[in-house]
Amino acid sequence: MTEQEILEKGYAHPEALVTTGWVAEHLDDTEHIRIVESDEDVLLYDIGHVPNAVKVDWVEDLNDPLTRDYLDPEHFASLMSEKGITPETTVVFYGDKNNWWATYALWVFRLFGHDNVRVMDGGRVKWEAEGRPMTQEVPSFERTDYPVPTRDDEKIRAFREDVERHIQGSNPLVDVRSPGEYSGELLHMPDYPQEGALRGGHIPGAANVPWARAVREDGTFKSAEELKGIYEGEADLSGDEDVIAYCRIGERSSHTWFVLTYLLGYDQVRNYDGSWTEWGNLVRAPIER
Amino acid sequence: MDRQDRVALLVEHAKNPRHEGVLEDADVAMPGGGPECGGSVVVYLKGDGNGRIEGLSFTGQGDTISIGAASIAIQKVRDEGLTMVEVLDLDYGAFVERLGRDVVGSRTRNATLGLSTLKSAIRKYRRGKQSGP
Repeated sequence: MTEQEILEKGYAHPEALVTTGWVAEHLDDTEHIRIVESDEDVLLYDIGHVPNAVKVDWVEDLNDPLTRDYLDPEHFASLMSEKGITPETTVVFYGDKNNWWATYALWVFRLFGHDNVRVMDGGRVKWEAEGRPMTQEVPSFERTDYPVPTRDDEKIRAFREDVERHIQGSNPLVDVRSPGEYSGELLHMPDYPQEGALRGGHIPGAANVPWARAVREDGTFKSAEELKGIYEGEADLSGDEDVIAYCRIGERSSHTWFVLTYLLGYDQVRNYDGSWTEWGNLVRAPIER
Repeated sequence: MDRQDRVALLVEHAKNPRHEGVLEDADVAMPGGGPECGGSVVVYLKGDGNGRIEGLSFTGQGDTISIGAASIAIQKVRDEGLTMVEVLDLDYGAFVERLGRDVVGSRTRNATLGLSTLKSAIRKYRRGKQSGP
């Protein structure tokens, strides 16, 4: 499945990416492949989407409606059935904002052990820029019998207690928010919304690498060499360490999780989805500015 | 209007926002929302000192719902000549109903970003008048 254009970028797991051209050639292979659009701008799918793509909405579909958590295994199985996905289906994600929400959806799929996942390099913006076909037609697929999976919250997800232990051991953290959020400056602007946190700043010891630095202007990911320069050269991360990424609610950091895990091949990366909206509200949690 | 029409209305407003731009002589420039999540707007308000709105515009960037709904809210206030009190009395639920709950879903915060920021601008304007010289 790996293409030359992707191979040339030198990734540890090039099979995690496909090009827009590859997707265009596989639009009708709906028996084996499901194309999933996941956007921040939830109306984009209605405006037009890749033919035969289904929509997964991170709010409506992937979150528990009451508890701050992701959907449970029964609902995940039901969602997969509804989208015509089996455990063997190759799911190709794409979306707006440099695939920010596409990688978030992919990360949630991985929590449930759906590991046969790809991202369309360049996302929606590249597909549109290339003048490829878009449709408003919502495809309908026969319901599948997706077995209820087990959700594994250990390997790629970090909770508050994990982060507390992490910083006690001086392990690496990467804060992928904007420099203004990292420094705490944004929360202190007059009349500026508090973004759901009472305190501004960052978790002690965290390096700051804004998530979108991993992509080029056309929305595609930078090469492995360029990414190493950023995450290892500048932020001093290393593939043999245990790394935790975080942002505000865990969506931007899922993008960085994808980069570190698939493109640079780090073995142990976790996404702290509680992120700043949890840490910045915790009584007596240590904060740096 | 059916759902498709309501989506089309939001998309049209988001692509061509009404009353967009900085109001140079505004009494209040009120920011709202989050630049990294959903959308952010700045509402510019000028009052006449007697509870009427003399000037109103906004700037912003964000998703279709945030910007489209902000444009619809600002247009409503301007077209209907609402007073500050009347704007403060506008019901968020009714506004979301008008946009379409089947379109907005749980993105009610995005849908009310423009209107809530406008209400904040009015409150700030009124506070300024109370504490002014």
